[in-house]
Amino acid sequence: MTTNTNTNAPQNTTTAEISDGAAIFGRGYRKYEGARSGIGGAVRSLMWQTIRSILGLGRPARHKVFPVIVLVIAAIPAVVYLGATIIIRDIGQTESGITVNYYELFNFSVFPIVIFSAMVTPEALVRDRLDGMVSMYLSTPLNRLTYLYAKVAAVLSVMLIITFGPVLLALVGYTIIGDGPDGLVEWVKLCFRLFLGGLVIAMVVSAIAMACSSITNRRAFASIAVIMVTIGGLITSEILGNITGYSDLYGLLSPLETATETATRILGESSANDNETALLAFVSTGEVAFGCAAWFLVSAAVIGHRYHRLEAD
Amino acid sequence: MNGIISTNGLTMQFGAQRALDSVTADVYSGVTGLVGANGAGKTTFLSLVLGLRVPTSGQITVLGMHPQTNGAALRAQLGYGAERNIVPHDMPASDFVKHMAEMRGMPRSEAKGRASDALWLVGLGEERARALGTMSTGQRQRVKLAQAIASDPALLLLDEPTDGLDPVQRDDVLTLIKHISREYGIDVLLSSHLLEEVERICDQLVALDAGQLVAQGRITDLVGDQQGVVVELAETSDFPHAFTDMVSQLRESGLEVNPNDSSWRMDVIGPEADFLADCVRDAAVDANARLVRVERRKRRLEDLFSVNPL
Repeated sequence: MTTNTNTNAPQNTTTAEISDGAAIFGRGYRKYEGARSGIGGAVRSLMWQTIRSILGLGRPARHKVFPVIVLVIAAIPAVVYLGATIIIRDIGQTESGITVNYYELFNFSVFPIVIFSAMVTPEALVRDRLDGMVSMYLSTPLNRLTYLYAKVAAVLSVMLIITFGPVLLALVGYTIIGDGPDGLVEWVKLCFRLFLGGLVIAMVVSAIAMACSSITNRRAFASIAVIMVTIGGLITSEILGNITGYSDLYGLLSPLETATETATRILGESSANDNETALLAFVSTGEVAFGCAAWFLVSAAVIGHRYHRLEAD
Repeated sequence: MNGIISTNGLTMQFGAQRALDSVTADVYSGVTGLVGANGAGKTTFLSLVLGLRVPTSGQITVLGMHPQTNGAALRAQLGYGAERNIVPHDMPASDFVKHMAEMRGMPRSEAKGRASDALWLVGLGEERARALGTMSTGQRQRVKLAQAIASDPALLLLDEPTDGLDPVQRDDVLTLIKHISREYGIDVLLSSHLLEEVERICDQLVALDAGQLVAQGRITDLVGDQQGVVVELAETSDFPHAFTDMVSQLRESGLEVNPNDSSWRMDVIGPEADFLADCVRDAAVDANARLVRVERRKRRLEDLFSVNPL
């Protein structure tokens, strides 16, 4: 065993000297005199925290698995389209022979977005109620309306990744390989329409998922409710519209059909182009838009009613 | 209405139930106890302070602002620790405190440092990276306190901050609250149904009972010495009339005596405690009474609720 002695210590120092570079690094708890960010800052913070929660960021790895899988599934059709185009070119064809229909990519995104909204949207709302965080948030500059605004913005942002992300990927990919729109103006126009289409689908599905999540404190029940409304609505409208041969307007009972048809019409297309038996193929654009708005507004009304009645304490 | 919280005829009605009944009170700087039994209206009072409810009638101002019209600006200056002891279980303590500091207006760069400082202050500096779900009840109460002070509030609202704690943890948390108020000049409104803890750390008191204001003011004014002494005798079969003899003798000396025959206990009222003690001693000797205790009469917070005890 050795004894550590400091042989370099100054031997003749009688007074302490203060270095010019001395600084206090740990000041401890102290008063804050700076500016505060108010409602805007609170909304941003809650929105970002909710996005992190939904995507599993800052949480154990198991919370990240599902969002990653869904995002990959949502991107697969766009990647396949692009890959097929490139491969066909590489084997000597002068033209790809594959015409990209962006609205088909919207249709492909429906399954991932329903699964994703059913599984993770309850996380955004139900968890706060279970953890008692609603009363904590309402003790900040937020009120019920701004709280919901932050939550809607967060859920919508994540849903947009699934609806708009793949079509944007396809647009950029096709542009790079030379099959994109002609000129910057056309490109921006198409990109904007794709964004609007993705936004409509994201808004309708998010609103339904949040409405289902607001009426129960059981996450599993909320998930089941989302699937029942979306998939159940699709089955119901198929039965009423196609099998019984009643009015095409029964197609509006399906929020998924209504939202994707609205997105298709925003792109200047119609499902009648490819499939004359499609539920909403011969329903006017105004009626489709009305159905879409109705789904969104009814869902928003359910959320508003539930949170208006919610006890903050 | 000139306190940090002032109410005038504050009434809150839920259907047929009146949670607060025309409460007029002023809360001044320092640590104030909001005390009352469960259902007395404490949480309703706090929700009105936060502006989460609109009173049925009456007025309330907090830090000079009206909670209903200036709610967002007011709440940015408040720290709040909710009664319910549930928090996001898989979130690290530092993330939770930082997030709540941001929610109350701290810039992101500032919130991180302040979250760490607040956790060190409440004694959880070493535990700040732990998930809240893995913490003990006492640690979670400290985290709730840390998130409430991280944004440097002007007024701290704590709803039953010692709920679920053992006596040692309770002492620690109360000492911490007192320290935070004294050291950093943060006013505190502490809701509790435990009079002992309110008496221990609070400067002032607002007492509610069934929605009505029972008492308010400085603790030192509400509790303290009362005139007179308390006398308790041991019952003995050798001198069965010792108690009544002693009461008679004291009364003959011109003293006011309030006897409790069943417990052989009496209050002897008078201004000079030492003189009264001498009288009691002499009367006890003459009546062959066996003294158990003679002490100054004290008024306690419990006396405020003597009609409807907590």
